[in-house]
Parts: sequence; structure tokens; C-alpha cells
Amino acid sequence: MKVNEAGWDRILRVIIGLVLLYLGWGGVVTGSAGLVLKVLGFVPLITGLIGWCPLYSLLRVSTKKA
Amino acid sequence: MEPKLAKLEAEYRGRVAVVRLNADEAPETVRNLGIFSVPTLIVVSGGREIARRTGAQSLQSLASLFEAAEAGTPPPLVSLPPQDRALRMLAGSAVLLIGLLSGPAWPLVGISALLLFSGVYDRCPVWRALSPRLASLAQRLRSPKR
Repeated sequence: MKVNEAGWDRILRVIIGLVLLYLGWGGVVTGSAGLVLKVLGFVPLITGLIGWCPLYSLLRVSTKKA
Repeated sequence: MEPKLAKLEAEYRGRVAVVRLNADEAPETVRNLGIFSVPTLIVVSGGREIARRTGAQSLQSLASLFEAAEAGTPPPLVSLPPQDRALRMLAGSAVLLIGLLSGPAWPLVGISALLLFSGVYDRCPVWRALSPRLASLAQRLRSPKR
């Protein structure tokens, strides 16, 4: 897995992931929407931490400078 | 990886010899060397294998292998870049906080423990001891001997 995210991209993803997780797990958003956020929050968090986005890979794009 | 390898080969000419082996043309040799995937780099010094890396390597990682070959000592362990380490520790701490404030939400606390460990795993002596054995077991499971 080659890193395809720039530093700013990774930090943004981690922040978004944490916010989504807080909204879901913290009870700010309840019901099925809250449940979706509880799971969905991990997607930007994990992709930000590993620096690789499968969607970027599929679309052959990268925010990381060559 | 070939351009990086060629660059270092030129830099270390006369001090480190680089031998390339085509896995398709020499399957017996590949098997005897215990190579299960390509590219694999093996550093030999004084007739003894001192390092082995599988997969594409950064220029920094390759350079450490060349230095090790010249010095005749194993290269230093590859460690996490400081930015990655900081990001994982911060994310792990934030997830732990969210988990503790939400109940506590034990699955989240468990995940935060994994995230925090991922920020320091390369410095954990238990992981360092287990990791080569796990890697070799995984390779054996992926490519069983005929």
C-alpha cells in the first residue's frame, strides 16, 4: 500500500473521523444516523492514519506530491 | 525501485556488490534462498546473511541496507516516521477520551488501545521478538513447500 495522501489530507481525515466518532458515540446524533456515524467515523480515521485511500487508488489520484 | 537501486549501486561501486536474480529464470535458487515474494533484498556480508527486506523500499531504507553491507553489521531497525507516530498517538488518545466519555464505550476503548499501540509498536521489545517469527509463519502459510 503506497501512501497516496498528503500530510494535510491525513490530518483532515483524522479530524473528520474523530468528529464523526464523537457525534455517533457521544450521543449527539442518535438512532440509525448515530449508528452509521459510529461505524463511518472509522473510515476517514483509519485511511488518514495509514496514509492510503482505496478510493484514490481506484481513481489513480493522489494528494501526495511525487 | 530499480532507479534508486542503480543510484546506490553507483555510489557504492567497489565497496558493495549488487547481484540481481530473476525469480522467473532461477526458481530453484529463489526457493533455496527462502524467497516467497518479489522484490526481496538480501544483504550478505562475510558469507553470512545480515538483513533481508521484502517489498518496495524507500531510498532511505535502501541506503541503510548498503551501509549495513559495507559495515558488515545489521542495519538499524526501521522505525515509524515521527509525524506518523504523533498522529497515531493523538488519534488514539482522542478515541480513548471519546470512549471514556461515552459510557464508557468499551469497543472504542479497545480500539483506542490498538491505535496507541500502533504508535509505539516498533519500540515494543515483545513485538520486535515476535514479528520476524510471525512474518516467517505468514510466508510459509502463503507459499507451502511442494
